[in-house]
Amino acid sequence: MAKSTHKNQLAPGISRLSRSAVFSKRAAYKLPKRTPAAPAETAPATEYKPYIKNDLIDALTPQAAKLSNTVVTTPKAVHKAQRTPKLRSSITPGTVLILLAGRFRGRRVVFLKQLKSGMLLVTGPYKLNGVPLRRVNQAYVIATTTKVDVSGTNVSDITDEYFKRESQPKLKGTEAEFFGEQAQKKEHPAQKIADQKKVDQAIVAAVAKVPFLASYLASSFSLSKGEAPHKLKF
Amino acid sequence: MSQMGSFKRLVEVGRVVLITRGSDAGKIATIVDIVDHNRAIVDGPTTSVARQQISFKDVVLTDLVVKRLPRDVSAKVLAKYLEKQQVVEAWQKTAWAKKLEARKRRANMTDFDRFKLMRLRKQQRSVVDRQVALLKKERA
Amino acid sequence: MPDGLATNLHEYQVIGRRLPTEQEPTPKLFRMRIFAPNEIVAKSRYWYFLSKLHKAKRANGEIVSVNEIFEKNPTKVKNFGIWLRYDSRSGTHNMYKEYRETTRAAAVEACYQDMAARHRARFSSVQIIRVATVKSADVRRPYIQQLLQPKLKFPLPHRVQRPAKKADRALIIAQRPSTFY
Repeated sequence: MAKSTHKNQLAPGISRLSRSAVFSKRAAYKLPKRTPAAPAETAPATEYKPYIKNDLIDALTPQAAKLSNTVVTTPKAVHKAQRTPKLRSSITPGTVLILLAGRFRGRRVVFLKQLKSGMLLVTGPYKLNGVPLRRVNQAYVIATTTKVDVSGTNVSDITDEYFKRESQPKLKGTEAEFFGEQAQKKEHPAQKIADQKKVDQAIVAAVAKVPFLASYLASSFSLSKGEAPHKLKF
Repeated sequence: MSQMGSFKRLVEVGRVVLITRGSDAGKIATIVDIVDHNRAIVDGPTTSVARQQISFKDVVLTDLVVKRLPRDVSAKVLAKYLEKQQVVEAWQKTAWAKKLEARKRRANMTDFDRFKLMRLRKQQRSVVDRQVALLKKERA
Repeated sequence: MPDGLATNLHEYQVIGRRLPTEQEPTPKLFRMRIFAPNEIVAKSRYWYFLSKLHKAKRANGEIVSVNEIFEKNPTKVKNFGIWLRYDSRSGTHNMYKEYRETTRAAAVEACYQDMAARHRARFSSVQIIRVATVKSADVRRPYIQQLLQPKLKFPLPHRVQRPAKKADRALIIAQRPSTFY
């Protein structure tokens, strides 16, 4: 892979620092939260107490800190159009991908389409390897040359919105949350179960036609002794 | 030559060599002239190796020799000799060439191919091991 | 050509003359075949040699043309005889040496290396006088003669196996390599 020109990116799309590392590096904990509904004047002007000795905090006088606690920052208007990132040429609908990160790392899944956000829509299929309809970042997959016939499935109605979480009543900080009272086991929506079945049906049928393909998708990828991923062909 | 002792492969006109380095790595060629103790002119009209001066460090001598090849023949004439004596075919029959071919094929296998190979070898093993176990039982 | 066999020297044909004057509107052209790493050095060597042979120098002369001379048949092995003159620490000597190469430039390159190795003579103290191919029958030096026997055969006594790429080289191996050919 070509070396990234960005010093804070390991590879295109992969940040060198984790989200929490960036948070602490930016000293974002000192900035007021942008989203809360509570307006700035209700924010208590607490006295500034540095709890970590560090140059950055030293540079901020208590006065400045106080100021930063009361300043309301409004997000800048974005003039740039958010374009869908380019899809790797090796990934086409039906390509078998190897997932490299997340809960399903090592699994071989089938690529369906690229969503507007740039994320890849994949499916296990669920029946074969337990991977549901899912969004993955293309930076965290290996594209293989193996293709599955996905012409029989229609995924035009699945968009980024499909994966949005339902909002939950906030219990944060309450006793109820801490002791797990009122905790309800979330049911997987019946609609999604049906969608999964509908999408997978034709794929499973196509997979069954190719010998060994079903068990290939069911198996997970790993490196054995002497294998180097950059020297392998996929 | 008696003083050659136990050496079986000699640098000589007509000796077939395997090129191991550079853009022609993996191809065979024939020595058509000797420059000095370190270099020779090789040519491979039937294996797409252009006539060139090459160091003995970049080649390995094989057991094959083009017989009765005169010194410094043209590529055309060499091709005729190679065809008549079936040199490339003879090379492909050697265990060495087969091993190189297998290595190349293995390196070019895709992920799915590797998986299928693993499964087929498992199947083979289950049959062979069972038979071996039966034979062992009979012997005991 | 694989690495290590490419030559650093090239053969140039340099043509120059004195600047035209009223007395001599068309001065005589002087042509020289010069072995040099590039055209710049070739032109410099041209004036160096010309000023030794004729009353001419760069300040009142001009280069008419410089072009490289390529070997007509660079895959044919030839025996080259080189006549040269070199300054040792104690005096100036003439020499005749023979080389077996495929090009004139490669033979001269080998000659410079040889002079540096055997006589500690640098490029600047060696002057190539003449380079010519020599017929096999006329080869004088035994180190070239031994390569001319019609059925030449010899073994390679020590086989060092090297990977195609340096990156593929194993740093640690379990067994000592077999060097048997």
